[in-house]
Amino acid sequence: MNCDDARVLMHGHLDGELDLVDDLEVQRHIEECPRCASEYAALRAMRTRLKDDAFRFEAPAALKEKIRRAIPASTTARANGYQSRRGAWVPRAVRFAVPMAIGAMLALIIAPRTIAPAFNQQLASEVVASHVRSLMAAHLMDVASTDQHTVKPWFNGKLDFSPPVNDFVKDGFPLVGGRLDYIEGRPVAALVYQHGKHVINVFMWPTAGTATSAERIETEHGYNVEQLTVAGMNCWMVSDLNQLELDKFANLIRAKG
Amino acid sequence: MPDESKAVDFDRTFLPHMDAAYNLARWLVRDEHDAQDVVQEAYLRALRFAGGFRGGDPRAWILAIVRNTAFTWLKRNRGPAAPTEFDEQMHSEAGEESGLEADAVRKADGAMIRAALEELTDDFREVIVMRDIEGLSYKEIADAADVPIGTVMSRLARARGKLARSLQERIGKDRITKEPT
Repeated sequence: MNCDDARVLMHGHLDGELDLVDDLEVQRHIEECPRCASEYAALRAMRTRLKDDAFRFEAPAALKEKIRRAIPASTTARANGYQSRRGAWVPRAVRFAVPMAIGAMLALIIAPRTIAPAFNQQLASEVVASHVRSLMAAHLMDVASTDQHTVKPWFNGKLDFSPPVNDFVKDGFPLVGGRLDYIEGRPVAALVYQHGKHVINVFMWPTAGTATSAERIETEHGYNVEQLTVAGMNCWMVSDLNQLELDKFANLIRAKG
Repeated sequence: MPDESKAVDFDRTFLPHMDAAYNLARWLVRDEHDAQDVVQEAYLRALRFAGGFRGGDPRAWILAIVRNTAFTWLKRNRGPAAPTEFDEQMHSEAGEESGLEADAVRKADGAMIRAALEELTDDFREVIVMRDIEGLSYKEIADAADVPIGTVMSRLARARGKLARSLQERIGKDRITKEPT
């Protein structure tokens, strides 16, 4: 083992996070290399210092009390309809997909605009409508393939840009296909991913102006929309996934861009 | 009603981690009152998303929400340009190749360590707080900070290296001011 590797792996050794083989190798390297041994000693000393309670902030009692008080109140509110709409929505979606989808579209149009002004509401309804249409009309994909090297070239000649296509099967978001869609008066790439039983539509087209930071809305009926700009592409993601998981997916897209 | 049982579960599952939540928020936003706001908001969000919690480690789950809430809060209230980043770059150039000394670390007082930690960039500071102060495993850190588990160790290595070097510099400066030649 060389020093460069050891200088990273010694952290795993210190934290007891290495497998046995690496662990023994690092141990041996530290014993043989004075430079790494002194570095390791410094790290151990630092860890001991940081364990001191002086560096751990405890939540003030008033804060804990405030949160405890807030929880039951919100839970009651949730029992009166909030939860029944959100939590129970996913299983119901299977049986009532079409009416619910129309409901979600209506909700988007009718719902009070509580979204930050930077977020393009018009575009959001457009992508949600496209998402819903793709599920309803059984026209989810023009090209069904889990292979990014099949999906990406498929767009050649159909679009005047080449969207970044990646498969995230390792992270639980396999690519299932792609299709052409129409947003904001122009043809766009729609990539279809799956997470469990949930479908994620990713709409992409080249961005005209400056980069926008990620913003997000959550509709009343469970469709989550997330928008970001990645590699010069406007990128909108729509799904009935919960926000946390959609966010996780957005991070994968962002990381690849 | 399933909602009733959920309420009990939420209490038992997530309320015990209020200290961990506050500690992380406090280190990320570096202000007592702002940290309280962040934790409160995070718990309300957690309550909304509780249906999405599919088992696993509840502390990592709540910390993931705290962290997102804190970063959103920082972006909204303090703007994107963190002055710490500039400092951090300067530190990284100074003595990246020099070895670390256990002695300097032992001599550093609490105020120095605190200042050095606060000066780290957010992603370096959070990984040290999660591992060394909060005691999370690499897996839990990966879940909470939303990075691949393979990234946790390399990020920790860089973060700790920066922290130790920063302490060494502080000790060095301290020595010069205390013992003028």
